[in-house]
Amino acid sequence: MSHEATTAGGLQRPDLQTETPNYDDAFDAVVVGAGLAGTAAALTMARDGLDVLMLERGPAPGTKNVFGGVLYTPTIRELVDIDDAPLERYIAEKRFSILSSDGDETAISMRPGAWRDDPHNDSYTVLRRRFDEWFAKQAVDAGVTLVTETTVTGLLRDGGAVVGVTTDRPDGEIHAPVVVLAEGANSLVSEGADLKERPERDAVAVSVKEVFKLDRDTIDDRFRLDGDAGAAYQYFGEGAVGEAVGGGFVYTNKRSVSVGVVYRVEDAAAGQTPEATLDAFESHPAVAPLIRGGRRIEYSAHVVPEGGARAMPDLVHDGAVVVGDAAGLVLNSGVHLEGTNMAVESGYHAGKAIAAALADDRSDAEALAAYTRDLDQSFVVENLRHYDWFQRTIAADRQFLFEDLPRALASAETEYFKMDRTSKDEHTGAARDHLVAAAGGWFGAAKRAWRFRRMLS
Amino acid sequence: MNDGWNIVVCVKQVPDADDVTIDPDTGTLNRSDAPAVLNKPDHNAVESALALRDAVGGTVTAITMGPPPASAVLQAAVAAGADGGVLLTDRAFGGSDTWPTSLALARAAEELDADVVICGEESTDSSTGQVPPGIAAHNGWAQLTYTESLDPRPDEGVLVGTRDVEGGYERVAAALPVVVAMVFGANDPRPAGLHRKIFAETEFEPVQWTAADLDIEDRVGLANSPTKVGGMDTASPVERERTRVDSVEALYDHLAEVL
Repeated sequence: MSHEATTAGGLQRPDLQTETPNYDDAFDAVVVGAGLAGTAAALTMARDGLDVLMLERGPAPGTKNVFGGVLYTPTIRELVDIDDAPLERYIAEKRFSILSSDGDETAISMRPGAWRDDPHNDSYTVLRRRFDEWFAKQAVDAGVTLVTETTVTGLLRDGGAVVGVTTDRPDGEIHAPVVVLAEGANSLVSEGADLKERPERDAVAVSVKEVFKLDRDTIDDRFRLDGDAGAAYQYFGEGAVGEAVGGGFVYTNKRSVSVGVVYRVEDAAAGQTPEATLDAFESHPAVAPLIRGGRRIEYSAHVVPEGGARAMPDLVHDGAVVVGDAAGLVLNSGVHLEGTNMAVESGYHAGKAIAAALADDRSDAEALAAYTRDLDQSFVVENLRHYDWFQRTIAADRQFLFEDLPRALASAETEYFKMDRTSKDEHTGAARDHLVAAAGGWFGAAKRAWRFRRMLS
Repeated sequence: MNDGWNIVVCVKQVPDADDVTIDPDTGTLNRSDAPAVLNKPDHNAVESALALRDAVGGTVTAITMGPPPASAVLQAAVAAGADGGVLLTDRAFGGSDTWPTSLALARAAEELDADVVICGEESTDSSTGQVPPGIAAHNGWAQLTYTESLDPRPDEGVLVGTRDVEGGYERVAAALPVVVAMVFGANDPRPAGLHRKIFAETEFEPVQWTAADLDIEDRVGLANSPTKVGGMDTASPVERERTRVDSVEALYDHLAEVL
């Protein structure tokens, strides 16, 4: 394709290539989106010897990505050496906190010593702008062609099969045997091409997040941290998300703190705005001191698929697979908030399946079905199925969980530790009464305990 | 001139102005975190070079001076449609100010038998605007600075530029070869085609020329740069005088009085 450079007068003349080569079917696969799922798929395919084109709409991978802040790395560690990865802090402490709207907080904190040891339970805070760019660079080093500032606008079809993509660029169509849809939660291409349905309102959450810059020492002191240790605080209750169903979070980075809320888009549609919700959370007396004096350096918002296993679309089609957030692979069990690990796992299995199918010169849904099977047998779909009940159950019990329980806990604590001239026995009784009353009597408490037993099972 | 013009477009890699901050304590630019991008006015230079080629035929060759990573801006120019690129790279160029920089570009343009050299009006990281006139001066060529649009007259061997001047514009006809400095925002740069962009970023390789190749190794670099920076200071904003008025009438009266 390249002309011989001519030399005249001893100086090498530039190649002049007015003709543009055509890259249709020059790549084995086109990956739509250079986030964690797309990059994992691209990397896996490149390692298996495929030529991969990865298209990213942002100026660099990670610039369009938003998440709370904790990356779980078991699969990434298998794919790349993460010793050089731009990780912020490992999670040394998890803290679960219930906030009432009256300023009460009841929290449980855990700092197992094992988390201090390498590899720190594979849980790290990261900044996506830096991490995704680094991760994509590992894929490029493995041979992937990354093209940024290019938005995929649709899919090319031949009969029913997907045979390529259209982009927002001139001369913007490109054909390839397989397309990997790793476009994220707002999956307009997949929906536009009827590969998945537009999600129901109750299967989508909205998240807003702000990042506050603070000195490293201030963060260490405020959160009781040393070295690379970090904290992940999760919040529930009316004090976290107001009238909505959802939660709040505070995560420590090296020199900044990420603060955000996630709640059902249905609640936002009903009038509870993201900015007011985040503002109220950041003003809560249990949260405000954590970010006091911090300079707001970033704000972002995103949608989160929370439909669970029920809402997962078909993962394989003739000539296409769907991975990561686009496939609805996010777990919110209340205790566990995961997505990045599932995205990487899905990208890995998709990449493997595509390589195997193309080795047989096939790209039809049946040949790609190994991806669905492998993901089905992995922790990803197993966890989604296991916790499928959770979202519906908490939504049904919102009044108790988000309003009555936080207040009752605070009242019980106040009673139990009260300093006056009454006996401890009487205080204990009064404390118990608060809790039992909130739970709907002994019978109600037993019913609720039964309903939520699976949370820890 | 029937086979078109040799058009050379000069491009520069600069820290992304959106990400450059000024350290309030030292007054220096903090460029370390800013990604390197194509200088914004150079997008307009590339577009006018391509439009000129569309009008008169010929070729567009992009040139830049810098370390090897600077070839990314040549890729950007080729992605947009330039036919080829030359990277002027040599340790000897290090520390060059606008005088040796424009000399190197002038020599390269001469080497490429340029009929037209197009630059952006200035770079966003140093904002001198001296390089395009410098290229013209070194080669003794005509120059069209602060140009908003170009009107080629290939039959006459002339390029007419519309120049931004105080109170309006002027049209200047320049005989070839000519150096043009395009005003930032003068045109609407075309987006790169998908296949062209893939080509530019995967297969395209610029040729590399050294200072010795251009026979200027003793005339470039810090030692041959007359600019000396005496010092730097940050200016504090001046407190404005404020007056509060209660109505539009009062505002009108106040303005009439002040004016």
